[in-house]
Parts: sequence; structure tokens; C-alpha cells
Amino acid sequence: MSAPEQRPPRVRVTAPRSATGPAPTYPVARELAEQSDVGELFVRSLIRSQLRLSAVVASGFLVILVGIPVLFSLFPAIHSWTIATVPVPWLLLGLGIYPVVIGCAVLYVRSAGRIEQRFRDLVNDE
Amino acid sequence: MTFPELNPVVGYVSLILVAVATVLIGIYGLRISRTTGDFYVASRTVRPWWNASAIGGEYLSAASFLGVAGLILLSGVDALWFPIGYTAGYLMLLLFVAAPLRRSGAYTIPDFAEARLDSRSVRRVTSLLVIAVGWLYIVPQLHGAALTVRITTGLPSWVGSVAVVVVVCLSVITGGMRSITFVQAFQYWLKLTALAVPVIFILMQLAGSGASLTDDGAVFSSSLNATGSASLYQNISLVIALLFGTLGLPHVLVRFYTNPDGASARRTTLLVLGLLSVFYLFPTLYGVLGRIHTPDLAVEGSADATVLLLPSRIFDGLGGDILSAFVTAGAFAAFLSTSSGLVVSLAGVVSQDFFRASVSGFRWAAIVSALIPLGFALLTDTLALAGSVSMVFAFTASTICPLLVLGIWWRGLTDVGAIAGMASGAVLCGGSILLAAALGADQAPQWLRLPALWTVPAAFAITIAVSRLTARRRPRNASRVLARLHTPEAA
Repeated sequence: MSAPEQRPPRVRVTAPRSATGPAPTYPVARELAEQSDVGELFVRSLIRSQLRLSAVVASGFLVILVGIPVLFSLFPAIHSWTIATVPVPWLLLGLGIYPVVIGCAVLYVRSAGRIEQRFRDLVNDE
Repeated sequence: MTFPELNPVVGYVSLILVAVATVLIGIYGLRISRTTGDFYVASRTVRPWWNASAIGGEYLSAASFLGVAGLILLSGVDALWFPIGYTAGYLMLLLFVAAPLRRSGAYTIPDFAEARLDSRSVRRVTSLLVIAVGWLYIVPQLHGAALTVRITTGLPSWVGSVAVVVVVCLSVITGGMRSITFVQAFQYWLKLTALAVPVIFILMQLAGSGASLTDDGAVFSSSLNATGSASLYQNISLVIALLFGTLGLPHVLVRFYTNPDGASARRTTLLVLGLLSVFYLFPTLYGVLGRIHTPDLAVEGSADATVLLLPSRIFDGLGGDILSAFVTAGAFAAFLSTSSGLVVSLAGVVSQDFFRASVSGFRWAAIVSALIPLGFALLTDTLALAGSVSMVFAFTASTICPLLVLGIWWRGLTDVGAIAGMASGAVLCGGSILLAAALGADQAPQWLRLPALWTVPAAFAITIAVSRLTARRRPRNASRVLARLHTPEAA
């Protein structure tokens, strides 16, 4: 252990508070949205396409999810089907649904990224 | 009820090991965390993989670790809806809030509400709700800790709750969020290992003994259930509560601020979905095996001990002790990580609103945020863990979820609309749950016991209607804020 007195004094490091900080992370896009009608139009259509995407994926998933108990109550015979002694409802709810959840998520992340890329291309053309 | 089959030394050793490891990692994190920003959100420099493990570690609470298996023991196939809802809640979070919320640049949900609606009153109402949700959510964690300590060591219940609060306070006030990110990431993998290793040994032992693992399918028979099977309404209302309740959990949301940008917030959420899907296989296996090997626990109040007692029912002697130590450590990790995540996010809210957002204010706020739920936990009785947590989900789905979803996607939201929606959601949902509790579980109709199916749409409808009526109060910068939430960062 070296003597602590020889260390340089401790300095508090904080983020710069003045306007001359690092370059903004949303350069063209935000300026567009804040200053011009065309920019506002672009942003509105971006939000609309993202919302449409989210709503489509969410309702698709909810239909599948709610469909499962509805199916069970419409066709109670499913409860007696088994695969390797495990009843089908247990397999569907304990295992089968998780790949569906992840599939929906992958689909969404890819499409949302594409929508944003299209927006960037559009803005950079301006 | 006492369980002489467990060796108390095993309980002591694993509880102390987890507590010491948690505090050590907290202190290691202290060497990196220095500024106020570090304390709150780790200065937004956490990688998706770390962040996803940390979210998993924080989210997988007593209800997941002990409660799911207990419910499978009690109600069979209907209990499988709980892990589905807990997981798919992150799908809704991904679809509707993850990236925009990260871009909002706010530390806490009240920050978001104030920035979006330009109103101090909305901020205050949101803060109150966030604090209420956090406290309600910590209480079942402390009940879980009480149960675990009582079963594994034979000590009185209050020791478990107090121990969790002490360890959480120590690690939060020394390291803040940065160290908590390390602690939480470690906790996910600890919890997964703690469930996976014993169950693999159990399956090998059972397969080696030549008996059918599922008792030729008899294990799935509903005649083993202690409760009647759930109606379609109950299943759907539960799933709605869990799906939309995750959106509003304060300790989950604060994690999204530690992603560097919107796209990485999405990647983090995707990883979380994978981690949760893998995790929930194991409590399900415990529950199913418990239906054969621990059927005596299938009564209210004992079922949550299934995970803790299953290894010692299969293995005798040292093997049973070691595997019991694994699950005990994992369970304790579950209470620690969820409670410390909640305490961090509550302390963020409390210190910004009452202690002027300094580091020492954050520490005081953390202590206050942990002690009040401790009081509740010591005064109330343990409910079935997964059941009491699902009530918190119903409450957040009816209050904070409409604020976030409409605030992110709808220009027309006003401060009056948001307050009206949150207040009516809180009154409708909270009132139903309290009324159902007063009537007793057998007397209360199902629409009072599981109100989410009607209170969530009602809260959305009231928020929208009141916002339309007060359209003149729309904040003037709404378009600019929405643009900021949705435009991608520079590539």
C-alpha cells in the first residue's frame, strides 16, 4: 500500500452545462421537425407508420394469445390430447407460446429499424 | 408449519453468501460510480447484454422464483398464464414504450410526465402513483424473504424481511445505480443457475430410477388441483393486467434510461424476452414435479415453498443439502434484486421531488423507500406471492400505462386528461381490489377480484375523453416533444 498523500487531489468530473457541449445527437431530423412544415409532415408520417406497426404486431399477438383459451373452451376435447403423456394445453402454454412472443419481437425490431432507416434517407435527401 | 427435513446450516450459509456477494459487488461498483448521473442511471453507458441481464435480474422476483411453481401446484394449467403474462409484458413494452421512452431523456416516469405535459401537477400525481406502486411491489418480496428464512433456517419470519432491507440499503446507498447494474446482472445468472442445476440433477435421478417422470400423465390431472379451474374471463383479465402492467413498473422503466440510444433500448428488450423465456421453463418444471413429490404443500400459504423443498424430497443427505442451498440462494437473490431495483427507482423519484436530487438526498430517499414497505410487510400476512404481485400489475396497467402509451403516441393528451385518467384508474382498480379483499376471496365476484379487463380500457377512455374536452390545454410544444421521442438518433 502506497501512502495516500502522494495521490493527486480528487477532482469532480461532471457533464458540461453550457451550450457549447458535444454536438447534438439528433442533427438534421430534429431541426427539420422544429422549424419547417415539411419536417413536421415527415415526423408525423414516421410516428404514424411506427404506431401502425406496433398496433399490427400487438393485435396479432393478442389474437393468438386470447385465441388459445377460446379454443380450449370451444373444443374441450383438446384437454385429453397428449404428446408423450403431456397434455397439449400444458405444452402450448408452457412451451409453445414463447417462440411466438420472441418471433413477434424480432419481426417488430427489424421493421421498426427499417422505418427509421427510411426516415433517415428521406431527411438526408432534403 | 415447520420442515425438519431441511438442515438449518444450509440455510444460514447460502443466505449469508448471497448477502455478502451482493454487498461486495456493490462496493466494487462504488469505485466506478462518482457523479450524480452515475448514481441515477449509470450515466447511460450500459451495454445491451449487461442491461438485459440486469433487467432480468431485477424483474424476476419472489413471484417468479417461488410463486409460479406454487401456483402450478395449486391450480395446474391455469397457472401457466402467469409466466406468459410476465414475459409478454416485455413485448408490449418493446412495441409501445422502449425506444421513445429512452429518447425522452428523462430519469424517472414523473420526469417524463412533466416534460411531455409541461405540468407540475401531473408530475406530482405521477410521483405519488409511482411511489405507491413501488411500495406495494416491495411488500410481497419481503413476504417471500420471510417465508424463505422461516423454512430454511427456522428463524422467525421478520428476520428475513429485515435482512433484505438491510442488505438492499447497504448496496444501494454505497453504489447507486451503476453498481446495481452489476449486481442485477449477476443476480439473473445466479437465479437461473440456482433453479437449473438442482432440477437437472432431480430429472437425472428420477429418470435413472426408471419411474415415469410424469407418473404416466397423472401429474397433469386437474384432480390434483387445490382450486377450481379458472374461467375464460379470469384468464383474459389476468393476462391483460400482466401485459400492460409491465409497461408501468417503475423499476423496469428506469433501466431503459441506461441504454445509449433508442435502437439499443429495443435490442435490450429483445434480449430480455429471450432471457425470461428460458428462465420460466424452470419454475414450471418445479411446479409440475411438485405435483407428484410435494403434494402436501398444496394448501394456501405453503405452496410457495415448493421450489425450496423439492430438492430435499428427491435427494437425501449431502446431495439434498447442496441442492437446497442452491435454490435458497437463488430465492434470496430474487428478493434482494427486485427490492433493490425498486428502492433505486423509488429513491430516484423521492429524492428528486423531496430532496433536491443530490447524492446524499438519494441515499436518504433510499432508506425511506425501503423502511416504509418493511413496516407494511411486518404488519400484514403473506398472501400467495404470484397472486398479490398480479394485483400490483393490474393497478399499474390502469394508471401509469395509459399515461405512457398516450403520452408517447397521441398529440392530444392534456394534463387534465392525464390526471383524470390516472385518478379514475387508481380509484376503480384499487377500489375493486380492496372491496374484493373485504368481501373475501370466495364471496367476491370475479370482476372485482381481477378488474384489469375493464379498468384498463376505462382509464384509457377517460384519459382520451377528458383530454378532448380540454383540448385547449394541449401543451404548445407537444409536436416538438413527440418528434424528439420518435426521430432516430444520427446513425
